[in-house]
Amino acid sequence: MYSYIARRLAFGTLTVVGVSIMVFVIMRILPGDPLVAIFGMEGFTKLTDAQRAAYMHDLGLSDPLWMQYLAWAKTIVQGNFGHSFFRAESVGEMLARRGPITAEIAILSVILSWIVGIPVAIVSALKPNTAADSAARFLSILFLAIPGFWVGMLIVLGLLFWFGYRAPLTGASLFADPWANFEVVIGPAVVLGLGQAAYIARMGRSALLEVIREDYVRTARAKGLNRKLVIAWHALPNALLPVITLSGVLMGLVLAGSIPVERAFATPGLGFAMFTAVSERDIFVMQNLVFLYAAVFVLLNIAIDVTIAVLDPRIRLR
Amino acid sequence: MTATITGPIAPPSRLSTAWRGIASLFRRAPLSAFWGVIAAVIIAMAIAAPAVAPYPPIKADFRAMQKPPSEKHWFGTDQVGRDTLSRVIYGSRASLTVAFGAVLFGTTVGALWGLACGYFGGRFDMVSQRLIEFLQSFPDLILAMAIAMALGGGITTVIVAIAITRIPFGGRVIRAVVLSLKEMQYVEAARGIGAGHARMMFRHILPQCVAPYLILATTHLGVAIVIEASLGFLGVGIPPPEPTWGNMLSDALNAGLVPPWWLVLFPGVAITLTVLAFNLLGDGIRDLLDPRLRGSV
Repeated sequence: MYSYIARRLAFGTLTVVGVSIMVFVIMRILPGDPLVAIFGMEGFTKLTDAQRAAYMHDLGLSDPLWMQYLAWAKTIVQGNFGHSFFRAESVGEMLARRGPITAEIAILSVILSWIVGIPVAIVSALKPNTAADSAARFLSILFLAIPGFWVGMLIVLGLLFWFGYRAPLTGASLFADPWANFEVVIGPAVVLGLGQAAYIARMGRSALLEVIREDYVRTARAKGLNRKLVIAWHALPNALLPVITLSGVLMGLVLAGSIPVERAFATPGLGFAMFTAVSERDIFVMQNLVFLYAAVFVLLNIAIDVTIAVLDPRIRLR
Repeated sequence: MTATITGPIAPPSRLSTAWRGIASLFRRAPLSAFWGVIAAVIIAMAIAAPAVAPYPPIKADFRAMQKPPSEKHWFGTDQVGRDTLSRVIYGSRASLTVAFGAVLFGTTVGALWGLACGYFGGRFDMVSQRLIEFLQSFPDLILAMAIAMALGGGITTVIVAIAITRIPFGGRVIRAVVLSLKEMQYVEAARGIGAGHARMMFRHILPQCVAPYLILATTHLGVAIVIEASLGFLGVGIPPPEPTWGNMLSDALNAGLVPPWWLVLFPGVAITLTVLAFNLLGDGIRDLLDPRLRGSV
């Protein structure tokens, strides 16, 4: 077991390093000139060569690439992630301020997706091809197609239109003002949660349908256990394993989806910061956030793999 | 005077085979076929946009600014009086060009890479798998955003950015298919009679990968459309004034504290309908080409 965890962590570290190199390559080495990214094409052509060189020097962009990479890696390890082009606040401080809101949204959305998705999957699987099943399948297909940020815009618009309500635009910490905090995070969490619930209902349904046909389920029924107990004790736990794995994969959907969704709700989280960085062409902030999102995604999936290994001895022993 | 038919029966032409395929899709999966028709209508609309759209998409009309839907402007107008219906119709061009371009490019590159990985194996495969793993460590949209931002706006950039996020899927799936094909007897026979690597890969193995490739490509069209719209919404897609559904929604948010409902509603409905159509058509094609996968996720 411990060797399994150690192996996963070692591979994970390798992946995170690889990811950091890839982010660096994309943001610095791809054909786009960083000054073009900052000033835009028009602004760039107006700069004189001397100005260009001076800017490059100020930004530390005239050092050899490997030195730039190591300097960046150092700021990551120190935890302050360097500075934005346009703000005094370091990226580390921004993370501390905005990170919790996005983290809350992510966690809440996962909880919501299970609360909605699993019961739908159970109803669908136990009564296949009935009206309830068809309705559930139609809804999940629909929610797979609707872009979350658009649902977010509709919710904001509807609340404003009919109730004159708008969630507070400033961030409030969970501990200082729980209610304001809840108002800020609930909208994005519901939208992202429903998006995931569609996948979970779909996967849960097919997993349950498969498990129900297994011999041990028939044995449990044959020895006289009642149907509900068999589903709850024997079928469901086994059907949930693939759903847990799926939840890990879906974290990518949540992390990435939170960017447009936070824009739609004007939520003061990390996703909105990413949107701001993109519109300001702030490649340093962007580079750090992209790396951070990918690293979190990798680590979460390792956590999921380890959870699965704890729950399922077949995987542990392989 | 009865003429008798002699000689062999003519083999079915390619056209009639295709026709029979479509007919069987209608019979076996009427729902998918229905959405296939919707998809065809959307594609036709994109191609015939100049003929279908009632107004030019970038023509401002300062006498009709931000007007709600009316007889003259069915979907209303935006802040500078551009007709929303026309912009939605023209927006389908950007959406579909990017989706088809990115999926074709990304899946093909991924498939060829996967073919090479599966066929050659060894160290090349090991390094490739690590690279693919790195690529897959990024949530799709975030990788696309970073690439689109680094390369600077424009339709080619958006296609390349989305295509790169599709490469790992093609790579993984086709590699798995090739690994199982490599063990087949006919491949061994081909090797036995001395076929070279290129002939083995492209003449004997590649044709077997066509069905999984098609399934993969069609299932990724919907995802590509959503990513394109998200990029447009975040301001790293195709830049205005060219209308895309994503940048229309972005403009709507910039229209004021309370965005007019018609500017929010219609582009979103267009995205949803298109994605729904391509997803369900994809499901139908998958069922048709590979009945074993029916009903799975």
